[in-house]
Amino acid sequence: MTPAPATLPWHVHLAMYLRLFAIQGAWNYETMTGNGIAFALEPALRRLPGGRGGPAYCEAMARQSGYFNAHPYLAAVAVGALARAELDGVPAAQIERFKVAATGPLGSVGDRLIWAGWLPFCSALALLAFGLGASPTTVVALFLGCYNVVHLGLRAWGLRAGWRHGLHVAQALGTPVLRKGPAHVTRATALLAGLALPSAAVGIIGPGRAVLGLVLGGVVAGAAVITSLQGRIAGWRLAIAVLTLFTILSLVR
Amino acid sequence: MTLELFRIDDRLVHGQVVIGWGLPHALGFLVVVDDEIAAAPWEQELYRMGTPEGMEVVFATVAEAAAAMPNYQADARSGMLLTADVATMVRLAEAAAAVRQVTLGGLHHRADRVPRLRFVFLSPSEESALRGLAARGVTVMAQDVPTSAPIPLEAVLAAEGTE
Repeated sequence: MTPAPATLPWHVHLAMYLRLFAIQGAWNYETMTGNGIAFALEPALRRLPGGRGGPAYCEAMARQSGYFNAHPYLAAVAVGALARAELDGVPAAQIERFKVAATGPLGSVGDRLIWAGWLPFCSALALLAFGLGASPTTVVALFLGCYNVVHLGLRAWGLRAGWRHGLHVAQALGTPVLRKGPAHVTRATALLAGLALPSAAVGIIGPGRAVLGLVLGGVVAGAAVITSLQGRIAGWRLAIAVLTLFTILSLVR
Repeated sequence: MTLELFRIDDRLVHGQVVIGWGLPHALGFLVVVDDEIAAAPWEQELYRMGTPEGMEVVFATVAEAAAAMPNYQADARSGMLLTADVATMVRLAEAAAAVRQVTLGGLHHRADRVPRLRFVFLSPSEESALRGLAARGVTVMAQDVPTSAPIPLEAVLAAEGTE
């Protein structure tokens, strides 16, 4: 068996990191992010015995292109761990078992930390900035800046942690930031939302209160529509419909 | 409160489970029924990392889960029982009468499966097993998250495709 390399060359690590941004590029209902995982792993797999196009490389690429689904940012952990396992010569059956076991937890941690935690937090922060009178450019920059500091950092950390721990990456997922972080972020988001929503409403209504009735009516109508659609329409479809409505309104005004 | 949800989901513990179902149902514990995972501590450690603090996750074989069912049912917390495949849930239903309603939460592509819904792919043997489960009086439906409408088994089996 080939001795495990202690480190990946920086350019291979960088290539894998950059490819992580395309991890959902070939998403489909059959293999989900499987193709993306193989794409991100490919620079490391070239270092298998026989090199690019060799039997080991082809077998690993075929194995890694199978079904996998996890949070796109936390998938970096899996990519790092799988690269380590493939280059360490871990048996294929154990690698397959790891992929099955990792998909749920990496989805769960990512969903709680990002979709239910950091994204709402950054949204509330941007909304508060708007309510406090920040310019549109500042609001957008604040949102994108805050969100992407964690987004980009999480992908980099995940790839490094996965590579360092290999299939024992559960140790890395046990870090307090991932275990306790989501609960703290959720509480902070609730606090920020409590400040941001009334501030933003005041910002929309303006000093003359000319559109007070319109805003209140819109809130009541929106609440009624969302309540009546509960269980009858997927949340993302509703979000796209509302976003489209706001875009049309802003263009008409 | 009790063990109120029985779900077949090949990803077992993931975001839809701990957030989608976990928050509205205030789930306090999960029971993962899988003979292989029950014997693999390193896999259990991974799944534990996927659960939020305050939510207990228990791993059991089919036999252990069937024996412990009265304890799960008597638990003061709300709970969800998960299996990764149809066969395991069928074995559990045969061993424990408490399984009265089963939700197909996510069964993804495999070479022998055909798409029924975007989140449910089934093989002919799995479809037969689910019909058998329904014939035993178990209500079977497909529902990935609580905000989507539950789809009865007959409608699932009649569906073709991923939309």
